[in-house]
Amino acid sequence: MPVNNIPKIDTFGCTRCGLTVTVRAADGSRRNHCPSCLHSLHVIDQFDGGSSECRSRMSPVSIAVLRNGDWRIIHRCVRCDELTSNPVSPDDNQLILLRMAVRPLAQPPFPLETFGDL
Amino acid sequence: MPRHTAPRPGREQKRKSVLHEHDQHRSRDFRCVGCRLDVPSIAPGTAHRNHCPTCLVSLHVDRRVPGDRGASCRGRMDALSVSVRPDGEWMIVHQCAACGELSANRIAGDDNALALVRLALRPLCDPHVASKALVTL
Repeated sequence: MPVNNIPKIDTFGCTRCGLTVTVRAADGSRRNHCPSCLHSLHVIDQFDGGSSECRSRMSPVSIAVLRNGDWRIIHRCVRCDELTSNPVSPDDNQLILLRMAVRPLAQPPFPLETFGDL
Repeated sequence: MPRHTAPRPGREQKRKSVLHEHDQHRSRDFRCVGCRLDVPSIAPGTAHRNHCPTCLVSLHVDRRVPGDRGASCRGRMDALSVSVRPDGEWMIVHQCAACGELSANRIAGDDNALALVRLALRPLCDPHVASKALVTL
C-alpha cells in the first residue's frame, strides 16, 4: 500500500549482499527486504508486537499465494527461527522468486510420477 | 544481538523440549478442526505432529517453542505454503486464520500427498504471474 510519509531519500544497506537500497519502492510502498537477494532484517517481533531485539538476518524460505493471486515472501530469521510474510515488490529479483516457487517440486519427498495415474 | 560466529553449513533442527513420543496414553490425540478427523499423535517420520494428515489444518496453541501450549488464540491455522529446508525436507507454513501468526512444521509420513502437491503448486498455477516472472528474466 502506498505510504506518503516515507522519505524518498531514505536508504538501508542489505545485511547479506551489501546493496544500498532505497526504503521507498517504485510504487510508493515501504520496502523491507533487499530486491536483489530478498534477505530482510528481523526488527519486528511477531509474537509480542513492537520492535524485536534480535536484529538478525531473515532469509526467504517460501512463496505464499493470497486468495487474490498476489505473491508474498515468507522470511525466516536465521537466529531465532521466527517467520514473517511480506508482499513482493515489483522490482524484486524474479530469478530468486521463481527458484523459491519451484524448489519444492525439485526436491519432492515422494515420487511425483504417480500423480499422472490419479 | 547479532551472531558473530560463522554460520553452520546446514541448519540444525530447532531444539524441542516437549516430546510426546513416549506418551502411551492417548491424551495427545486431537480432532481436526477442518475435517473433524480423529488424529492420533503418533505419526510416522516425525515426533511432532501438529496438523491433520488429510486436510493439513492445524490449531494455534503454541507460542515460540513447539509444544509449549502458550498461545491463548486457539484459532484455526490453514496451510499457507511449502518451504524446503536445505537438506530437502518439506515444511508446511501455517497461518492462523484468527490472528495471522505464522508457524512451520515438518511434513509427516502419512500426510496427504495430493494436498501437499496442490499446496506446492499454488504459486505456479496462476499462469499470468508465473509467465510475467519468466518474461522479466
